[in-house]
Amino acid sequence: MMQNLQQKLSFALVCFLLLCGTMAYGQRQITGKVSDPETGEGLIGATVAVPGTTTGTATDVEGNYRITLPAGATKLRFSYTGFTESIVEVGASNVVNMTMQPVDALDEVVVIGYGTVKKGDATGAVNAISEKTFNKGAIVSPQQLLAGKIAGVSITPNSGEPGAGASIRIRGGTSIGASNEPLFVIDGVPLKNDGYAGGRNPLNFINPSDIENITVLKDASAAAIYGSRGANGVIIITTKKGQKGGASHITYDGYYTVSKFTEKPNVLNADEFRNVVTFIAPNRLEKLGTSNTNWFDEITQDAGGQNHSLSFSNGSENSGFRASVGYQQLDGVLRSSALERTSFSINYNQSLFDKRLELNLNAKGALSKNTFDPGQIGSAWGFDPTQPVYDPQNTAFAGFFEYNNSSAPRNPVSAYSQIKNNGKSFRNLGNLEATYSFVNWAPGLSAKLNLGYDATSGQQQIFTPTTYQNKIVSNQNGNIRSESFARINPLLEFYMNYKRNLGANHRIDLTAGYSYQDFNEQYQGYDAYNLTSNNLGVNGAGSALNSIPFYSEVENRLISFFGRANYTFKDRYLLTASVRRDGSTRFGPNNRWGVFPSAAFAWRVMEEEWAQGLRKTLSDLKVRLSYGVNGNQDIPNFGYLPSYRFGDARSRYQFGYDNGQPVFVTTARPNGYDPNLKWEETTSFNAGVDFGFLNGRINGTIDYYNKRTNDLLFTVNIPAGTNLTDRVLTNIGEVENKGIELSLDGYVLNTKDLSWNVGFNIAANKNKVLAIDRISDQGVLTGDISGGVGNKVQIIQVGQSVNSFFVFKQKYNADGSPVADNGTNDLAAMYEDVNGDGKVNDSDKRPFKKPAADLLIGVTSTFDYKGFDLTFTLRGNAGNYVYNNNASVGGYFNRVNERGDVFLNNIHTSALVTKFQAPQYFSDYYVEDASFLRLDNITLGYTLPKMPGKSTLRLYATAQNPVVWTRYSGLNPEVNNGIDNNPYPWSRTFVFGLSLGL
Amino acid sequence: MKFIFKSSVIAFMFLVGACTNLDLQPTNSVTAEVLFKDESSYRAFIARVYAGLAVTGQTGPAGNADISSLDEGFSNYLRQYWQLQEVTTDEAVIGWGDEGLPDLHNHTWTPANQFLRAMYYRIFYQVSIANEFLRETTDEKLDARAVSTAVRNDIKSYRAEARFLRALSYWHGVDLIGNIPFYTETSGFGAEPPAQATRAEVYSFIERELTDIENAISAPGTADYGRADRAAVWMLQANLYLNAKVYTGADRSTECIAACKKVIDSGLYNLQDNWRDLFKTDNNLSKEIIFAIPFDGLSTQTWGGMTYLVHAPLGGKMVDNNKDDTGVEYPNKDEAQQRYGVNGGWSGLRTTSALVNRFDVLADERANFYTDGQTKDIATITNFADGYAVQKFTNVSSDGIAGADLNHPDTDFPMFRLADTYLMYAEAVLRGGTGGDRAAALGYVNAIRTRAYNSAGGNITDAQLTLDFILDERSRELYWEGHRRTDLIRYNQFTENGLWPFKGGVEAGKTTESFRNLFPIPTSELLSNKKLTQISGY
Repeated sequence: MMQNLQQKLSFALVCFLLLCGTMAYGQRQITGKVSDPETGEGLIGATVAVPGTTTGTATDVEGNYRITLPAGATKLRFSYTGFTESIVEVGASNVVNMTMQPVDALDEVVVIGYGTVKKGDATGAVNAISEKTFNKGAIVSPQQLLAGKIAGVSITPNSGEPGAGASIRIRGGTSIGASNEPLFVIDGVPLKNDGYAGGRNPLNFINPSDIENITVLKDASAAAIYGSRGANGVIIITTKKGQKGGASHITYDGYYTVSKFTEKPNVLNADEFRNVVTFIAPNRLEKLGTSNTNWFDEITQDAGGQNHSLSFSNGSENSGFRASVGYQQLDGVLRSSALERTSFSINYNQSLFDKRLELNLNAKGALSKNTFDPGQIGSAWGFDPTQPVYDPQNTAFAGFFEYNNSSAPRNPVSAYSQIKNNGKSFRNLGNLEATYSFVNWAPGLSAKLNLGYDATSGQQQIFTPTTYQNKIVSNQNGNIRSESFARINPLLEFYMNYKRNLGANHRIDLTAGYSYQDFNEQYQGYDAYNLTSNNLGVNGAGSALNSIPFYSEVENRLISFFGRANYTFKDRYLLTASVRRDGSTRFGPNNRWGVFPSAAFAWRVMEEEWAQGLRKTLSDLKVRLSYGVNGNQDIPNFGYLPSYRFGDARSRYQFGYDNGQPVFVTTARPNGYDPNLKWEETTSFNAGVDFGFLNGRINGTIDYYNKRTNDLLFTVNIPAGTNLTDRVLTNIGEVENKGIELSLDGYVLNTKDLSWNVGFNIAANKNKVLAIDRISDQGVLTGDISGGVGNKVQIIQVGQSVNSFFVFKQKYNADGSPVADNGTNDLAAMYEDVNGDGKVNDSDKRPFKKPAADLLIGVTSTFDYKGFDLTFTLRGNAGNYVYNNNASVGGYFNRVNERGDVFLNNIHTSALVTKFQAPQYFSDYYVEDASFLRLDNITLGYTLPKMPGKSTLRLYATAQNPVVWTRYSGLNPEVNNGIDNNPYPWSRTFVFGLSLGL
Repeated sequence: MKFIFKSSVIAFMFLVGACTNLDLQPTNSVTAEVLFKDESSYRAFIARVYAGLAVTGQTGPAGNADISSLDEGFSNYLRQYWQLQEVTTDEAVIGWGDEGLPDLHNHTWTPANQFLRAMYYRIFYQVSIANEFLRETTDEKLDARAVSTAVRNDIKSYRAEARFLRALSYWHGVDLIGNIPFYTETSGFGAEPPAQATRAEVYSFIERELTDIENAISAPGTADYGRADRAAVWMLQANLYLNAKVYTGADRSTECIAACKKVIDSGLYNLQDNWRDLFKTDNNLSKEIIFAIPFDGLSTQTWGGMTYLVHAPLGGKMVDNNKDDTGVEYPNKDEAQQRYGVNGGWSGLRTTSALVNRFDVLADERANFYTDGQTKDIATITNFADGYAVQKFTNVSSDGIAGADLNHPDTDFPMFRLADTYLMYAEAVLRGGTGGDRAAALGYVNAIRTRAYNSAGGNITDAQLTLDFILDERSRELYWEGHRRTDLIRYNQFTENGLWPFKGGVEAGKTTESFRNLFPIPTSELLSNKKLTQISGY
């Protein structure tokens, strides 16, 4: 067990009250020792308090304490994290020793929607992880804490950018046209989690070090209480709270980081390129330059960073308080990208009226400054490596080499040096929860009011100087784009809870409530262009000759009624039923309200009398079954309502003249809509077994689930003549996800000095489109790629996984190389005639592999030896495929000379293998197995054994993303949606830090 | 504390009462009820029906797209109509590899082709919003909204114009696809999918409609520029009748002559002095143009339309900024900008030798090709240097001044112009129509040729005035104006007859299947409207 030295600090109020206590009459001095039952050693920092008073203290480094028992007081309460709290009667002796009893894992409380439940009593598929198992490293956003930790939860960062957003799939995606992201609930406030101007990951406003635990509700029975927003699962984040009766405590955690760009992009270097040009386009040799430039070296950097978190907590008999501040600064490996975040969090809780009223106040937020790179990594892939970075003569472009031609690619270094793209966002979340227990007239009845808000504002300014954008290459002389965003989501929730034991064998727990949440967003800004001066940078809009302002405001609202009943018989048969009725402004009056029921049953086998004999081997066995319906309404507003949209000033139409000047009419357009738009509904079935062996040393869970989504929200072509546009968002089709999950967690070794805990999870998911009305046979193309306009390489087809790749079957030569096009576009020579009609054309494309993984694997290992700790997280996917768009768009020889009259293009090295002359976007050659195993992070820490006073100090070093094993030929096998097209590259990061507790 | 508790209970009860409202109104758009409170909205709505020919959405040049089956810039009405009418013929090739695009010149398109899909949905988009306009402007609705007399008078003309625009798009549909879904304002929103009408049925509908609206629409020359007047109706009639034999099997040349005569006899239109000025930014002032789609660099922006027609044919040395035709370098000179009024080329469109060879290139000023660095014959379509470039449409005025914006030209697209009327008249006479005469026809043709040659040197004799001559002359006069495919089909030269470079995908050209005289109904539509039958052959 890790030893934490704790020291009590004097908190003014406590001090004062203690003094008051000391002056009172009849008090006694009690001393004693609090010890660990297994080792017999003293527990340091355990809280000893006198119930009903503000008197409290903490044990010292030996586990000893001394407390003044006020007159009339006869009890002491002992508490320590991980052990059961106990209250003992003080007898005549002035010495009270206490041996704590560890908390039974099954008695641990997990947070569920609108309440908590003992882990042993949970009927749904609920996983919770706490701080100890979180991922380590330079972590910006809360999602990263979870990656690889929970079976069936896949977390893919959108890119390697510092603070990048992440895409989360819990048990596969249920939707096509609506969102597939889970609902986040933070301290009881459900969040709207869309991105916004000036920000990156919308959850970056939470400092990960303020998070106490994260609970994932995976099945419908757990998530149905969130009704219309629960179809993709729910992630509940609970932040650290001030502990009532807790000793005052200060922690500091700080680290420094360095990140490196370690990838090797598959492009030709300058000499290789010269050879290729000599071979492919000998008439263009004069276009070659004399430099040797590695464009990736020029736009990447070794990036530094730092993070500091400071927290203070304290408690008294009836109140707890915690406050923290954090500062994080991270540079990106692409030049000119960075993140700077200042965060705070405050919690205050107070008991009143003999604990009948509990108040809990939370406020947290962060100011983030985001510097974005100009997103032109693509030009580093194609830019001629024989050209120089600088051309001092080219003063129109600030001395950077450019082709001075609007159809030529742009010098990436010029972009990374000159374009300034700065964002700033402030998001803050607060809520007041008041819980009143009606102990006097209706024991077991309580009422809870939760008033909250989530407010976000963001600004982003992009400055493109005239030395980057001017009339030589564009129709604008410089540009300043400014966007600002404001969102406010007020929340009101009220629910009643009634818990009662009915006789010895029956227990009920009833909850019913109401929820109101409004979402209002404003988005405004301007585009200012044709700048007359670059001197003021982003503030120079006044120097622009032209500008276009924009403004928009949208609002939607959710109103819900919900109820849940738990019934327990003999502590072994558990039944849960819940229902939620949701109203959403996104649907018309006829479809506005949806009802989402669920039911679950669990059987705690080991509570049966006949099972007691098994306890030697089997410490726990629980069987769970659940069924439920959830909704999805994460679509744009007013899709059901007939409306007109006005055109802007640039889409007007001329109607004649007024005094010789043309008159332009602003137009009004009737919009397409579906008056019958309704919820998407996901019906889920889950069967699971929780088990434990060897007295809880090994615990595990197996779950099987089947989720079927009906009335799929999807934008499809509708018959011409039935609407006011060609494609409308409507309810169409059915998707299924089914899978099996296994989690195991246990101690390989557990002795006094040495312990080794390993957590392992594996999940298999199969996603399949069951039906799409009106698009029955051929399917709908998705998956836009770079290369041509409108080219798509994925399909949604009945019987296939969503977004399966849709490509030709490449023929291969005897030597294993693909059959090349040899300058003709003879499809029959290159591709198989899949449908056997004697021709090779579009109809010979077929669904081939898919981006979603078949298997997700996570391994977490924690090894402690005396003061040392070694932790690592391994994460792997199997059966996930990626379309290598970088290779398909750059890997053909004609690309060199496509615009050889003006410039030459570098090519992807795959062309040397494929020998393709023209682009072959639809060859399955580019669909690659991207299965991988990644060592996400590995941390070595050392906790100093002897520290002055009662403080603790731990030093640690972490390597993030040190190694990944994969056969994928591109930079990174983890690609959202499976199309690899120049995302911000991942980096390898090293972290050195220390944690201090006082 | 009790006070706090009690007051929060009270506040809660109040909030529950106030917060069960789910009737939010949109903020970025308005409902019809709100819109038509302002009587100027009828004008805004009819302007939008017109704008469907020019722009792609409610944000220029792209954004809030009207249709989404294709990239928004590609989805432009004029761009797709132009492409299907020109790139499928000897007048144009395009070098880009976007999926399905090479199939147009190769005559290998399939029902899955994204460009056909875009044109199809654009046509019916126009029909649908014109219908919606007619539904929103019934007497019943105008009474209910108590619309003022002045605006009701305007609306009478707007309704005729909406019907004209619907007829125009139905004509495109009948010409391109043949048997198409047919519906009018009487089939309401969200009704059953429309049934397919035969080509002849839709033809009859267009014919009836044009007769019906002829008097309701503004007299020739009295409408605002950009809006259709009676002369535009006559021109549409002339086109319909000239091609009637293709659509219905019955020759209507006599009616074609009558319609052309009405235009000519109105006396409002004259040939532009300089042919090349018809395609420049000040062509809005031309007395030759009868109906145009207006574009404006600042106010009517799109990535299709004239933006496409000016940029896509520019490439090679035309836009190599540092050098002029003789190879002299001008480091600070932007030649493309000076000559064409835009900031660069898209290196896509060129023409085939078939068009070039039709000209006496030295004498005929309509042979407006750019040849430096270009070869007349094409070896590879994807190579911009293969085939002469066409510099017909530009963003400069007749005085050589560039338009207001370097991306989006000010030049308008001449949909109907007098030279076309002359040639239709002549062709209808040669096809045996009555009501006109050969001498007048010869006079009209020679007026066109005199302008082209700047002298009578190119004039023809009566013996030379043949149908085949007219087909070639139409190509010389009207190339790249969106007529060629229809003309070739009328002469049965589009598929099973007629050869030009890379027709059918081979360099020498080969004949193609006659079913390709019509385009197919897109796959997506066949799957969503089960009442439709695919065009035969596909």
